[in-house]
Amino acid sequence: MTSPRPYAFGVPLGEGVAEALGNLQDQRQRSVLALLGILIGTASIVAMLTIGHMAQRETLKMFKHLGVDILQIHAIPTGLGAGQVDRAAVEALSLSDPAVLAAAPLTSGRGAVTANGLGGDMGVVPSTAALPALTGMRLASGRFLGPLDDGGLVAVVGAETARKLSLPGAPLVPGGQVRIKDYLYTVVGVLAPMPYTAFDPTNFNDAVQIPLSGAGRFTPSSQPDTVLIRMRPDADVKAAGRRVSAALANPSARLQVISARDLIDGMNAQKAIHTRLLTAIGAISLLVGGIGVMNVMLMGVMERRREIGLRAAIGATPRDLQLMFLIEAVVLAFVGGVAGLAFGLAAAFVAAKASGWDFAPPLYVIGLGPGMAALVGVTFGFYPALKASRLDPIEALRAE
Amino acid sequence: MLKLFNIDKRYGPPERPIPVLRDVTLSVAAGDFCAILGPSGSGKSTLMNIIGLLDRPSAGQVVLDDAAVDFTSPAATARLRNLTLGFVFQAFHLMPRLTAWENVALPLLYRREDRARRKARALAMLDQVGLADRADHRPSELSGGQKQRVALARALVGHPKLILADEPTGSLDSVTAGEVMALLRDLNRRLGVTIVMVTHDRDLAARCDRRIEVLDGRIVRDTAAA
Repeated sequence: MTSPRPYAFGVPLGEGVAEALGNLQDQRQRSVLALLGILIGTASIVAMLTIGHMAQRETLKMFKHLGVDILQIHAIPTGLGAGQVDRAAVEALSLSDPAVLAAAPLTSGRGAVTANGLGGDMGVVPSTAALPALTGMRLASGRFLGPLDDGGLVAVVGAETARKLSLPGAPLVPGGQVRIKDYLYTVVGVLAPMPYTAFDPTNFNDAVQIPLSGAGRFTPSSQPDTVLIRMRPDADVKAAGRRVSAALANPSARLQVISARDLIDGMNAQKAIHTRLLTAIGAISLLVGGIGVMNVMLMGVMERRREIGLRAAIGATPRDLQLMFLIEAVVLAFVGGVAGLAFGLAAAFVAAKASGWDFAPPLYVIGLGPGMAALVGVTFGFYPALKASRLDPIEALRAE
Repeated sequence: MLKLFNIDKRYGPPERPIPVLRDVTLSVAAGDFCAILGPSGSGKSTLMNIIGLLDRPSAGQVVLDDAAVDFTSPAATARLRNLTLGFVFQAFHLMPRLTAWENVALPLLYRREDRARRKARALAMLDQVGLADRADHRPSELSGGQKQRVALARALVGHPKLILADEPTGSLDSVTAGEVMALLRDLNRRLGVTIVMVTHDRDLAARCDRRIEVLDGRIVRDTAAA
């Protein structure tokens, strides 16, 4: 006689999956309800991961033109007078501190700027020739402020400012003039449009840069209140910040040090909290979905006792029966996972469009979402499958 | 082919057992067509379940094809059922979702045969029971007699040594019952299949070659047809 062959899979996997799909379709309504939990769970996890990934990209983009090695010092006034730092001390930084590659002093103020009979309240930024290299600003025409411009009545206007001060047919170009308070400045350069992010000390697009030495015409002093510093990429930002603060310390101001890395760390910390929260929500949804899968499978086992009995009688081993129900649970969860992936990506897409971000999902979520759902299927399908395999075939065949 | 030695079956707690089968010894030869006959509660269903390897005896031995059956491994008995036994039930037990040929082919699924081969064998077997033209119908589109013939084809598709039929005509009207009975008879003669049929219908039992009468868990009479 033929002895029973040892075998792991009585039924080829493909056929098992096809069977499972057929069985699930038989109980469509219930299957859909179980899918819903898995779908919500997967969708929230996928959306969360995708949005997090995009947020990080956007954060990095924000520092792209400045670079992440930038340190900002703001002089916050301690008394009634203006807060300020010493320009000479700032300019000596790159020589005295090995961690500092370059330092640019500036003051960000506002004032009435007019030209061609147009104008209004705009940024007026007294600065030096060191600024362009630190901010990545580019020229549309003309030149930047140079070392020889100090004290002179020359100005570089931002792209937005140039647009505001131009008449049709009479654009504001180098050689033109702008009036700031009672002084006429000759425009020597017009900037190309540049990104403006929360980390920029001011919006250079909508400002007029003038030489720092002449700033005393508008502000109580011609000393800067802001310093932009580029650090060596390998520098210890915190230690350098302390050294720079010490070097620039003076009684007029309390110095606030902001580093791009600190900001990124802060945003990452914020993001980590959101991630944990959303992961918890996703995990709870998946748990609920898993219980839904278990419920559907248990009901299926009860309803299909006769089928189970018959299959056992014609030669299905307990293992075959276990696999049959396990495959069903996994297929059910996997379908929910794939649908969840689609919904999650759609939600992330909407969020990206609403925030004006680029839609850029990380590739790993495509595997992770449905994979996690399938894992839930295995976990919660196990007990019903075990139950099915342990039915007494005689009792099962007699079931109503 | 099939031998039962001193089979005992008791239900209930060990301290107060309810005996269902007592010391049953039986031998069925290849090609036999025998009926197990008895009133309800006589133990004939239990005997049937033990012959079908669905239930394990409390004592005694079942020998199938000269090998003692090991009842301790459910997987091993499942394989044995698949390879050597075919079942026909009173309630047909066809899967409503599957077509006639898919129902017939089901036992072959557990032998890991590929679909094309399963289909070919199932269609050949449907032809044997006269239902070649109903291969793609679902059970709901078949009459009672047709359903039982599909079930019979399913029992036969794996070329089992023994067909176990549990009240195979119990759900059919007398005309259809006669047809199914004639088909069993015909298959027994034409294909040489051994058939053990459980029934409480004496007229039906009379058409078998051998009648084994069970009462109170014992075989009380074992007669061959004249």
